[in-house]
Amino acid sequence: MSNKKTIQALNEKAKAIEALADGETETVRALQDGPPGMPAGCTTVFDTGWETNPRPTYPVGNCQASARDFHGCAGDCWWPAQTPDGLTNHPDMDQQCPNVARDWRKMKYD
Amino acid sequence: MNTALTWADHRIVDREDGAVVYGVEDVSLFSLDREARDVLARWRLVEPLVVENTPEPDRSVLEDFRTARLLVPAGTTSRVPRVEPGTVPLSTLVLEVAQACNLRCTYCYADGGTYGGPTRLLSPETARRAARFLVDASGDLPEVTLVLFGGEPLLNLPAIRAAVDEAEARATDAGKTVRFSLTTNGTLLSRENVAFLREHRVSVSVSLDGPPAIHDANRPGPDGRGSYSRAVAGLALLLDGAPGPVAARVTLPPAQWDRVPEVFDHLAGLGVHEVGIAPASPTTPDLLPTPQQEDRLLAGFSEMARRFCAAARAGQVLPFSNLLDLLARIHVGATRVAPCGAGLGYLAADTEGRLFLCHRLVGNDGFHAGDVGQGARPDRIRTCLAALAAPRKETCTACWARSLCRGGCHYDNHQRENVLGLSPGGNCGFIRRWIQLGLEVYGDLQREETRWLLSRLGTRAAC
Repeated sequence: MSNKKTIQALNEKAKAIEALADGETETVRALQDGPPGMPAGCTTVFDTGWETNPRPTYPVGNCQASARDFHGCAGDCWWPAQTPDGLTNHPDMDQQCPNVARDWRKMKYD
Repeated sequence: MNTALTWADHRIVDREDGAVVYGVEDVSLFSLDREARDVLARWRLVEPLVVENTPEPDRSVLEDFRTARLLVPAGTTSRVPRVEPGTVPLSTLVLEVAQACNLRCTYCYADGGTYGGPTRLLSPETARRAARFLVDASGDLPEVTLVLFGGEPLLNLPAIRAAVDEAEARATDAGKTVRFSLTTNGTLLSRENVAFLREHRVSVSVSLDGPPAIHDANRPGPDGRGSYSRAVAGLALLLDGAPGPVAARVTLPPAQWDRVPEVFDHLAGLGVHEVGIAPASPTTPDLLPTPQQEDRLLAGFSEMARRFCAAARAGQVLPFSNLLDLLARIHVGATRVAPCGAGLGYLAADTEGRLFLCHRLVGNDGFHAGDVGQGARPDRIRTCLAALAAPRKETCTACWARSLCRGGCHYDNHQRENVLGLSPGGNCGFIRRWIQLGLEVYGDLQREETRWLLSRLGTRAAC
């Protein structure tokens, strides 16, 4: 938002929309324009969205979290939800937490 | 991120000091100062628009438009979420207590209260079954509403008592509360039945059409004599020490559409707490309005809107339901997924316990959707709603009023298109002008001295 407010929210929906955008422009950047490529930045721990799977295997170009789910489905440790980022922020997650559904409390992330 | 943006569908209401912009998809309202209005005028036709490539000072204003989601990434599409019949718990059941009436109103959509066919009354047993059906079909809802309706419901007190008694007992067992409402022509109100209605906190609407000449012309008895004096006598009993608000519900045929303010004044003068004015449904070709008559109705509503704003500046609420309801919806900005709750949380039961999409479609076999013993039939509801929506699909998609309207009254549309053979959309112009009036009034109420009214609108919307 500019410092001088030229546009004012009037009804409750408009206020809710403005609240959605609070801080958005400062903290969130779309990292990838055009066709799928390599990650270009960092992500918040539980953000499923921005970084892509860097491995040259399936699913190419998917976000890390969905790539994890994709491979996780093969084993007995499937976690059908958002997962911690095990490549950048929690590389030892699989040691701390061999079974996510059972051991998630052991993970020491904030 | 040099994202290519396009303008979201919007509508501009120009004002002296800038403009109010209505976000069509979101039902969002923003006021623009003169600078923002100029920026909008300069860039409105530029698409796609990359904000980063625009010069200051326009750029920061365009950023504000993006924050307001009036500028959105190119290719953004929105879909109206589909609501599946059968997944929505029942919140309101309209019960045809009496398919009979002691009046013969000229515009009645229910064929003298009978909804076609012979006169009949709801049995106390069926009333109890219907009350149980309502509570049992209400899922997790903490509160349900039973509407006692007709015909004239007060012709059948035994069924009213049975329904109220059973609904209260069943709701208590289920840990829920039940609210009752009743619409009456007022002529059969007595001290006894008013006491009963109060005891069970039944909120009452009285059908009154205004001054004696108008009311008597519209609402005669079978002998042709007007019902004004009897209705007003009943109203007086209701108003005497009324524990809650009493509403007057007006129906006007097109020939009387130029009389809105005087009808309102008369009823407000009788002491009712709120007045709602409905244009009569086109049950017959002679009730179809001409464009001039629509203009007069709009002029009447505009006059009411002007008075509403003047009253608000004086710290008062003009109790004109139509405008209060519209403003409450605009204030909250909730987008509709369907024009009304018919078949989606709202059903009507006739005297035989057969379920229909809504109270107005009772007795019409094409809209029969189950019964109170075996429950509603989602498959039937789905088919009916799809058939009702189909003729308007394309026009609704392109209409700026869509998120607040979603297609208008099913009954009116059915009547116009399937019974009278008119092409779809005959009512759209009127609806759009009415919603436009609401947007203008809402913009007007943003002044310092009328802002107190807005939070009241929020409270109303929550009711």
